[in-house]
Amino acid sequence: MKVKYNIDIVASSPLRVIKRRVSRAMPDSGKMKKPDVKLVILGDMNVGKTSLLHRYMERKFKETISTIGGAFFLKQWGPYTISIWDTAGREQFHGLGSMYCRGASAVILTYDVTNWQSLAELEERFLSLTDTAKDDCIFAIVGNKADLTDPKVLEVEPEEEGTGQPPVCSPPTVSPIVRKQVQREEAIALYGRILRYKLQDERSSLPAERMCFETSAKTATMWTCCSRHCLTWSFPPS
Amino acid sequence: MEEEHQDREQPEIVRCSEPQSHCSPDDTDSLKAAATITLDNTSPAEQGCGTEDPPPCKLDALQEISSTNGPSEPEPEPEPEPEPQPQPQPQGPGGEGPLEASSDQGKVGAGEENGPSEPEGPAVEDDQPENASDSASTDNTLEDSSEFVVTVLARGSLEDQGEGPSSELSEASSPAQAPAPSHRDEDVTAESWRRHRKHVFVLSEAGKPIYSRYGNEEALSSTMGVMMALVSFVQSGDNTIRSIYSGEHGTDEHTVVFMQQGPLVLVSVSCSRQSEQQLRSELLYVYNQIVSMLTQASINRIFERKKNYDLRRLLAGSEKILDGLLNLVDSDPSFLLSAVHCLPLASSLRDSLSQILQKAITPNLVFSILIAKNQLLTIVQEKTVIEDARLEPADLHLLLNLIGASSAFQAGEIWTPICLPLFNPDCYFYAYISYLDPPDCTVCLLLLSTDKEAFYAVADCKRKIDEGMRTQNALRAIAKAQSYSASQVGVSDLRHFMYKPFDVPDNHRQLTQFTSPEMEAPYSSEEERTRLLDLYRYMHSRIHSNSRPLKLIYHVAERETLLAWVTSKFELYTCFSPLVTKASAINAITKLLRWIKKEEDRLFIRNPPKYSTTPNPSKSSRGGKGGPDRQDTTDNGFLSLL
Repeated sequence: MKVKYNIDIVASSPLRVIKRRVSRAMPDSGKMKKPDVKLVILGDMNVGKTSLLHRYMERKFKETISTIGGAFFLKQWGPYTISIWDTAGREQFHGLGSMYCRGASAVILTYDVTNWQSLAELEERFLSLTDTAKDDCIFAIVGNKADLTDPKVLEVEPEEEGTGQPPVCSPPTVSPIVRKQVQREEAIALYGRILRYKLQDERSSLPAERMCFETSAKTATMWTCCSRHCLTWSFPPS
Repeated sequence: MEEEHQDREQPEIVRCSEPQSHCSPDDTDSLKAAATITLDNTSPAEQGCGTEDPPPCKLDALQEISSTNGPSEPEPEPEPEPEPQPQPQPQGPGGEGPLEASSDQGKVGAGEENGPSEPEGPAVEDDQPENASDSASTDNTLEDSSEFVVTVLARGSLEDQGEGPSSELSEASSPAQAPAPSHRDEDVTAESWRRHRKHVFVLSEAGKPIYSRYGNEEALSSTMGVMMALVSFVQSGDNTIRSIYSGEHGTDEHTVVFMQQGPLVLVSVSCSRQSEQQLRSELLYVYNQIVSMLTQASINRIFERKKNYDLRRLLAGSEKILDGLLNLVDSDPSFLLSAVHCLPLASSLRDSLSQILQKAITPNLVFSILIAKNQLLTIVQEKTVIEDARLEPADLHLLLNLIGASSAFQAGEIWTPICLPLFNPDCYFYAYISYLDPPDCTVCLLLLSTDKEAFYAVADCKRKIDEGMRTQNALRAIAKAQSYSASQVGVSDLRHFMYKPFDVPDNHRQLTQFTSPEMEAPYSSEEERTRLLDLYRYMHSRIHSNSRPLKLIYHVAERETLLAWVTSKFELYTCFSPLVTKASAINAITKLLRWIKKEEDRLFIRNPPKYSTTPNPSKSSRGGKGGPDRQDTTDNGFLSLL
């Protein structure tokens, strides 16, 4: 936890921040064999966990179907191997949650910005699962489906695709704009409560502005909570 | 509630056709009986099993159902098939007697078979009276006094709907095709919704909707309420409703089958003309798939605590799995035969695959299964566990369906609790699912462990298996493996067959398997495939009729001739070109059996290998059923939700 990177959030992805910090904190053991870092994506069903991960792994958005149990992925990230658990949000699989979280170095709590309940669920249902995670586990709070609320996404879209990969979905097909149900402030407040729950020192932890995001896995865009600045979804190359 | 209902609807009963009820000991029979009724509204009387009182209620409820729900709407699919009508004629002569030739045949109730009704066609009519009287004669015993079948002719409601019967060709075949993505959003008041070939509903005892194959359950809550009213009304008389037959003969026939499983009620509303027995077994698959996700113990417990619990809360997201199951049930004969379809593979290759699996083990690993193209490549089982209980084909079907429905993201390794309802309905296994050949994702590895925490150990097994496959270049060999064509048998008139042996060595612990060639022309289109499967289903229902089982049927249909034959050693369904003669068909079957004998090492898994992952023998004694610990069911967090 000592090592702190001051990475410009605007230039790179917040996920990158998480991982870099985490991977430094971990011993660098053998490649591929033993993952250096365990990362878990939690959140209510249908908030877009699998889509986020899919965007990250394959830079694509595609229709997914409800995840069963949990899906495990290994991702080479620079010199590090990270393992990622994409969990099912359904209550049916709740019992496995603590197993997925055991020893996790980072947890991404995901909610749907158009669905207030999905934010509430994070605290009610998912936070306690992280008891088995590491004590210094890093939390990020991600509000997905921002494209459903903010028409700006569509304008920003064209100029930013660094990968040359056209967005899968074209603007006209974007669903009708829904009223945003979750304000950033609520997510930031939740972040504070999480730190207190985990008994982490708020001053030495990453500030909420850096760890709360609104994203759209569909249009590959992301905002941090501190600015209205729109970010490209630029993940480390695979 | 039911009473009120009854009162309200009573007049309608009168108006609408003669309700009839039968105590029929046997599902299939009742089907025939029903059809008979439909045919000529009087015949049912001769069945005279005597439960005449309940029908009114049932009938009015039926009316209700039909009006909201459309079971009695004009027959979607027989209509488009023009061929059935002429059918009876050609068949009569052809089918007069059963095959005289080989051993078993003589006994087969002779005249019985000629009539050939295809499941989908008005042709059934001709066949029916005869059946009905047949069955009536054998029927008199009430097997289960607590169960009866209500047969009803709901012509009234049919008229209410005023629907032109014709032109549903596409509708009829559509269920077999890939489902439209929007089933959930379907307008349940639309005519197209009513016309689906087979509806399946799941509800709780409190009448809460849990699942509907088409349309949103929420929108169907009143319909489901009526279904529940039916069930509980009959229950209040210490009886169990089993089925309702409705529809005017030849234009609209629906079979409504009810099945209660613990706190769940499953209802199938079908115009597929399958036997009640078959529909019932399909409902059982649906129930078992739900159990596979939640376990029977937790379902029961949940409803014990809270009668009106909304199970969708736990099943949300699983609809696709159930949808997928129902599509498979409609299109894959494995479900009909309750047997597993193996991919033909040189036995040396299959053995080496098995060895690779045998070497990659870890404690508490129970089953290692390799699957390609939705067919079994090989399966290795834990010794002590299968001594306690065997892996049933039905459980394997549920697993295969789960794999098919979970392939959203194929690069990953999935770890999920899964219950195998026939193995042990109250416990979870933990399934590891991963594809060995990304990105193609055709060869799937499935490892089942009893240890919830074993993911990493099991994932290590997969790495070993990966390595073993690579060194032996097995993936390429598997890619070359494919199903075979009926022409390879070398019998000119043979178009297709399904062969299910009973005489596999060590049968007791063996998976029931069957083999079948690709469906080729003329069965290459979806419609034709469905038609052939319907024919097979019809043959199957005749062979397995409870009251009048047959050993051999020679059935001359309009576009093909079928022969089904069951002996103590095998069950065989064959499809020939229509011009085949009885003698040549028998000849062909002899050749076919010889060919299968010659190829059986390739077609079947002869000796499923075993391994031992429980070094500590005491482990094998856990629970009568062998597998997973009971605790896990409570562990899954359902109860905390209540």
